[in-house]
Amino acid sequence: MTLPSTTPFWLLMAWRESRAAWRHFIFFVACIALGVGAVVGVSLFSANVERAVLKEARGLLGGDLEIRLSREMNEKGQAVLSDLARRGVQVTRVSELAAMASREVTSEGAQGTQLVELKAVEPLYPLYGRLKLEPDRPLWALLNPSEDRCPRPRCYGAVVQEALLFRLGLSIGSSIKIGDTLFMITGTVRTEPDRMANMFSLGPRVLVSQEGLAAAALVKPGSRVRERYLLKLSGMGDAQSLLYELRGRLLSESAKVSSYRDAQPQLKQFLEQLARYLGLVGLTALFVGGIGVAMSIQAFLREKFHSIAILKALGSDSRTVIQVYLTQAIGLGLLGGVIGLSIGVGLQDVLPRALAGLLETDLLQQVEFTSGFSTAAIGPLIKGLGLGIMTTLLFSVWPLLTIRNVKPAGIFRRDFEGAERVGHTVTGRFGQRLLISFRTDPLPAVAAVSIGAGLAALSVWQAGSLKIGLFFIGGLITAVIALMLSAQAFLKGLRLLGSPGPLVLRQALGNLHRPGSQTIGVMMSIGIGVMVIMTIGVIEHSLVRNIGANRPADSPTFFFIDIQPDQADRFSHLIHEQTGDVAPRLTPLVRSRVRAINGQSVRVEAETEQEEQAAQTREDKRKNWYLGREYVLTYLEELPKDNTIVKGAWWKPDHLFVGPQLSIEEDAAKHMGVNVGGTIEFEIQGISVTAEVTSIRKVEWGNFSTNFYMILSPGSLDGAPITYVATVRVPPRDEATLQAKVVVAFPNVTSINIGDVMETFTNVLERLALAIRAVALFCISAGALVMAAALTATRYRRLYEAVVLKAIGATRGFIAQAFAAEYALMGVVAGTVGIVMANALAWAVLRYILDLPWSLEPRLLGIGFFCTILLTLVVGFLSTYRILGQPPLAVLRHE
Amino acid sequence: MIKIQRVTMQLEAAGQRVTILDDVTLDIPQKQMVAIVGPSGSGKSTLLGLIAGLDRPTSGSIWLDGVDITLLREQALARLRLEKVGYIFQSFHLIPTLTALENVAVPLELAEFPDTRTRARELLEAVGLGTRVSHYPVQLSGGEQQRVAVARAFACRPPVLLADEPTGNLDSSTGQQVIELIMALHRDFGTTLVLVTHDPSLAALTERVIALRDGKVESDRLVRPQQTL
Repeated sequence: MTLPSTTPFWLLMAWRESRAAWRHFIFFVACIALGVGAVVGVSLFSANVERAVLKEARGLLGGDLEIRLSREMNEKGQAVLSDLARRGVQVTRVSELAAMASREVTSEGAQGTQLVELKAVEPLYPLYGRLKLEPDRPLWALLNPSEDRCPRPRCYGAVVQEALLFRLGLSIGSSIKIGDTLFMITGTVRTEPDRMANMFSLGPRVLVSQEGLAAAALVKPGSRVRERYLLKLSGMGDAQSLLYELRGRLLSESAKVSSYRDAQPQLKQFLEQLARYLGLVGLTALFVGGIGVAMSIQAFLREKFHSIAILKALGSDSRTVIQVYLTQAIGLGLLGGVIGLSIGVGLQDVLPRALAGLLETDLLQQVEFTSGFSTAAIGPLIKGLGLGIMTTLLFSVWPLLTIRNVKPAGIFRRDFEGAERVGHTVTGRFGQRLLISFRTDPLPAVAAVSIGAGLAALSVWQAGSLKIGLFFIGGLITAVIALMLSAQAFLKGLRLLGSPGPLVLRQALGNLHRPGSQTIGVMMSIGIGVMVIMTIGVIEHSLVRNIGANRPADSPTFFFIDIQPDQADRFSHLIHEQTGDVAPRLTPLVRSRVRAINGQSVRVEAETEQEEQAAQTREDKRKNWYLGREYVLTYLEELPKDNTIVKGAWWKPDHLFVGPQLSIEEDAAKHMGVNVGGTIEFEIQGISVTAEVTSIRKVEWGNFSTNFYMILSPGSLDGAPITYVATVRVPPRDEATLQAKVVVAFPNVTSINIGDVMETFTNVLERLALAIRAVALFCISAGALVMAAALTATRYRRLYEAVVLKAIGATRGFIAQAFAAEYALMGVVAGTVGIVMANALAWAVLRYILDLPWSLEPRLLGIGFFCTILLTLVVGFLSTYRILGQPPLAVLRHE
Repeated sequence: MIKIQRVTMQLEAAGQRVTILDDVTLDIPQKQMVAIVGPSGSGKSTLLGLIAGLDRPTSGSIWLDGVDITLLREQALARLRLEKVGYIFQSFHLIPTLTALENVAVPLELAEFPDTRTRARELLEAVGLGTRVSHYPVQLSGGEQQRVAVARAFACRPPVLLADEPTGNLDSSTGQQVIELIMALHRDFGTTLVLVTHDPSLAALTERVIALRDGKVESDRLVRPQQTL
């Protein structure tokens, strides 16, 4: 292909140089392609999820609007619902609670029990979205099986998640007992549109009818239940104005009214955060690729030294030559970017698989996630390409500046080699030298600042947050500097060491520290990859270890919840009988919402469009979280263990209280703006209780006990619909028996096994770490590419040395050993520095973000170290194995 | 055309200061054909490089067409080389990744000449390489490469042509052809020609012979009167 002669010189030359040198740039293009692929894959995945969530928003909420309460709607609320029905709005009620299901009940107790997430529905459910059921029949038909299939006088059907069948060894047609009633399993549910996308689930889903739930008699006063009233307007006016109307009318109900527009805010926030951090790991891969770009250009320019000198001798200035090679670099960056886009498109199919199972509900199926092309993909694709080109540009500028140092006299390099012109050497202290250099030639300093600013801008762009972007680039630059200094110190150490040991080692060391070896760049690139992967590993292990370590030896095995007041004595008796232990500690509790603080009504939800649109700061959101959430209240005589009073005083034993007193947790007090002497008014199942704050407490949340934000003085909750929670500790072999006995004796009591919860947590953590690691693999691959690029750049020198060594009697084995020693040493240094940096980073994250102690993970670090050496050996030999077989004469003849 | 005043060039290598040119003063009028001779290491090529502005002297000044080039910044020097100086190297110094035509076109493109490709083709035809335009340097013989280099040096019709042992890497008959080509350009276009050579017979063809030894002008003599062109 020939460009028209009117094409500007820089473009003509850039084209000609690329045409002849494409082989030099395979790694250049690959580095950018890989980085862009990682960034685009993550952004496409997050854009697709966002699109799907938006599309299925009504299905995710279950209606146009949702009214949520922690109890059944009272009369006043029912009147509002009837009014809505009169206005043509479809309303359906959904009740959700945790319950115990058992396989069959014998005189020995319940055989096979399982904690389940029960959901009771009405015929209209679901108003939006589709349930995927097996068999594919209407849900209502499955929940009300015909009498011929169900011999009992009144028969209830249950549709369950397949996991329950596996865990209890059941099949379709079997019966399970929930509460006081037997349910026949009539089908399985694969996806339900409005299941809360949550990382943690207490157990498999069981769908029943509202009649079935009533028959089970699980819901007692004060039971832990979530009542949802789903509304479908069907063209009956505007959802948003009805939202504000209902918020006003249901204020006294302590109901939470939301519209499909803000369906699943935690899910959105979680996905946003995940996409942001995965995106930053992707950007790290791109920046590591950038190091590869800089090294490729450096190696290329070294070869082009002569041609540049000729161009200058012919009358070209540095600016023009830099323009030529910068154009070439950007063109290659564009090519790498385009290839990267296709890698990214491929990755967006892989990521959902890595993430599958992260959320307990299969969210991706729930929102009918597809990774196909849509207009939503255009943004991420353009951004990915932009990031690729900008990274190329920023990493090219520095090596390209060296073109300025090529003098036209370089054409006579043989005469001038190693010679410095007299009178141009700057001497003095480092600072003075820097200042003089800046005065005589400010361009490198200006370029360095611009590159730093450019990289920071790219980071902020990718993170979507100034603070996180700057924090990321600050951390990355610190890590790069630390890696560079360590690699330099290592090489300096080698020089000081002289030439120790056998020839093989001397040859390997020589290769590492000779000019042009690019060892520092390789160590940095591999080191960053190792650092990213190991940081994730160390944090994951530390989290799991800390949680395990924090669990005290006397921590409970079970939490039993929803024990009714009239069951308390019998329950204590049963536990005493089963465990031989003294009666378990029963803590009374009641669910409530905050209605007023210091006499001022609390209003969290917007009641007008203007309020909705008003910008909320992070602090506002935090405050609203504290004000709007449900509080579990208790009353206690004594200050619980691991609680310390930081302000005010705990009530004295046998104190006579004039009115309810309250001890509040310190963060809650801070965000709610309440102090000792202030008052909080609670709404408890429609009844109002006002308490005076008499103390503020610090709580140790991670101690595996029942902890409370709000503790009232004894007597404050008299007459309130309280339930009890009991914590019980039994040896592992007695767990199943105890659970079975409790289910039979107290069908409405739910038992939560701490061990199961811990296991779920560990699984989620592993999944999350796996997803991050999948993207982090791009970082280490980019590091491997950089190493391959560096070795390829020095291929000819290695080849020449290898044949000279062979010519003087060295064997192929000797050369292979020298190469192996060289690559292994690279791995040792990159691995050591990467692992040290990873531990420093993990320590900072654990200490300052997660507030957990760091612990040394020798096994994990050992594996990481070994794998790094293996990686450098494999990449090294893949890049250079051909050299080993070259016959000396063929090479030397061409010298 | 070229004035060299008290030019000294010193280099430092391995901590030792080496004087390459030592207080050289010369004046070369327009259209003169000059040979610079001397043994290896006498500073011939360095002097030629300094005249072309390829490097700066340690002290002294060099005037080219009325301009002190030692005072020029990089960009102005590059422009001066492009417009005023054609340079032919002993080792040809063609850009290996460009075809013969593209090599010749480079200075024309840098100077933003119109229709660079046609002009480059004409130049290659003029040096007898009309059929080799698409060949890369490695596909050309030494003589052919040097002819491409001559065409390139003369592409912008510079008033000064500097040739550094142009026949040094060629056999005698090919060398002869290249010298004839350079002479013809000097003759036909009135170009000032400065030739560095080892070859006394080649030096004898010029109008003036300047001999250097240890960086100093050993002799400077007119061999024949300057031809009026």
